[in-house]
Amino acid sequence: MPSGFAIQTRDLGVRYSLRFTKKTSIRRSFARLLKRNRGEKSFWALRGLSITVAPGESVGIIGPNGAGKSTLLQVLAGIIMPSEGIVEVNGHVSTLLHLQAGFDQELSGRENIMLAGALMGIDHKVMEERQESIVDFADIGAFIDAPLRTYSSGMRAKLGFSIATAVDPDILLLDEVLQTGDEAFREKSHQRIADVLGAAKAVVLVSHDMSWITEFCNRAILLERGSIVADGKPDEVVATHMEHSEHRKQKYREVLEGMRSGRIAVRGRPKQLVREAERTGRQIPAIAPEDEREPLARP
Amino acid sequence: MQIATEAPSSFRSSAVRPGALGLIREALAETFGRRRLIRHLISADIRRKGSDTLLGNVWWVLDPLLQMTVYLILLSVILRRSTPDFPLFLFAAILPWKWFASSINDAVSSVVRQERLIKQVQFPKVVLPVSAVAAEVLNLAFGFVIVLLMLAVFFPAHATINVLWLPVIAAVQFVFTLGLALLVSAINVFYRDVGILSGHLIRLWFFLSPAIWSFDSSAGRFGAIEEALGEAGVSLLRANPFAVLLTAYRDVIYGRVNEAGDGFTPGQAPDLIALGMLLLLSIGLLILGTIIFKRLEPAFAKVL
Repeated sequence: MPSGFAIQTRDLGVRYSLRFTKKTSIRRSFARLLKRNRGEKSFWALRGLSITVAPGESVGIIGPNGAGKSTLLQVLAGIIMPSEGIVEVNGHVSTLLHLQAGFDQELSGRENIMLAGALMGIDHKVMEERQESIVDFADIGAFIDAPLRTYSSGMRAKLGFSIATAVDPDILLLDEVLQTGDEAFREKSHQRIADVLGAAKAVVLVSHDMSWITEFCNRAILLERGSIVADGKPDEVVATHMEHSEHRKQKYREVLEGMRSGRIAVRGRPKQLVREAERTGRQIPAIAPEDEREPLARP
Repeated sequence: MQIATEAPSSFRSSAVRPGALGLIREALAETFGRRRLIRHLISADIRRKGSDTLLGNVWWVLDPLLQMTVYLILLSVILRRSTPDFPLFLFAAILPWKWFASSINDAVSSVVRQERLIKQVQFPKVVLPVSAVAAEVLNLAFGFVIVLLMLAVFFPAHATINVLWLPVIAAVQFVFTLGLALLVSAINVFYRDVGILSGHLIRLWFFLSPAIWSFDSSAGRFGAIEEALGEAGVSLLRANPFAVLLTAYRDVIYGRVNEAGDGFTPGQAPDLIALGMLLLLSIGLLILGTIIFKRLEPAFAKVL
């Protein structure tokens, strides 16, 4: 790698349009038609993100649900175009976002290996060479030549894992999906992950499992509401994350309590109320006695 | 290691957007660069269709034959139409129509169906509608074999060397179908209504095209249509791309029904000027479809 970074983003922002969010019911789309100009039309899943990942770094991304972790991986992988800002990636990227995404039910295991390779844009010859080692690692016996619809979910997961980790990329992007298969396979796969992570020149890993972050990463980034809250040593960032989520849980409990006792007149689920309040920076009405109110948003 | 990356570069920014020509070049490079992927998708597609049914892919040949039989019964028994060698007359148009209808039908949902994949792997989405349309070509080839058999065994009086025009006509239809497929598959991502509507629109289109009728004989069949629509209506019907295509197919396979409607002239060369103009129009549609598809492509992963 010639220059000094593996991945660089500058002022990266990703905006989702709410007009085309999927699976809207007829009732809701009519409602939307009526109040066409009211309400928000879009929201920023990520905003103002500037991250530089140096070669050799292994970065863990953590944060609460909806913080933009998966969106960040999708942008880095080139699946989503940034709405503003710049993404630069130096080297071949491989994404292990979901291991079974490209599988076709009618094709055999072997054919699915080749299909996955073609999807990822890997040269046919290279894929042919690797086929045997993928088959060996998956270890599903004669099923490898049967159509995928005859597989058990465990076999599917094993095959997916074997394909995904057989690529040898410069930059590896991982979503937490690697815990698969039975006990024996899990042990084998753990070693394989460590190997792949070691071989890649840079890794970005999203996980809810903090032990993964502390074990495999030498840097961690805490995302909340689409921006970076903390960036640094894994155990420190994990600690911050734990503290924040503990605070959030505390708030849920307070809101739940308030609703039960009738102090909070607002309707809705506590989690949503807290998240909404966090996002807008306003507080939930009457969550606490007048003099004890504090801004809910920033813990 | 060698890796064929079709991704334009590792530099991405919303500010960098290729123009129309760049988009077309990109789509071409993606389609040819990912030939193998398209081949995999086609073989998966064909196997999927064959696996759910007892008779498998034989259905593709049986289906237009049965459809022909239905119209044969409807038109000749119930409506008492008597066109000479009516089965061949119908089959010559129903076969290519079936090809078009199922291509579009598959293409409309080709992108939406791969929702999970699109959100998780970066690959050129053009391959999806392209492979959906290309998968149907094989079926058409089988259909043409049936046509040749019918000509040889049952209707030798119609057979002429002009049957050799079939691949040319099919090529024009392919370009037209592909252009439309790109367009509808991309729009369907944003408005799923397209997928629901298209089935009905295609059925209406079928009856407005000379599939179970023809422009040939003014006595009886076409006379009634002419009367109902007037001159303007008829010229509109003739401007329909499938008026040109289905007439061309019927010209080379069946020939023409004579004025009185009781005889026919055997297979003849198609109207090459009309076909040529349709080819130009189809290329235009393909370019338009490609540009729109490529413009909308970056938003697929977000909307799905």
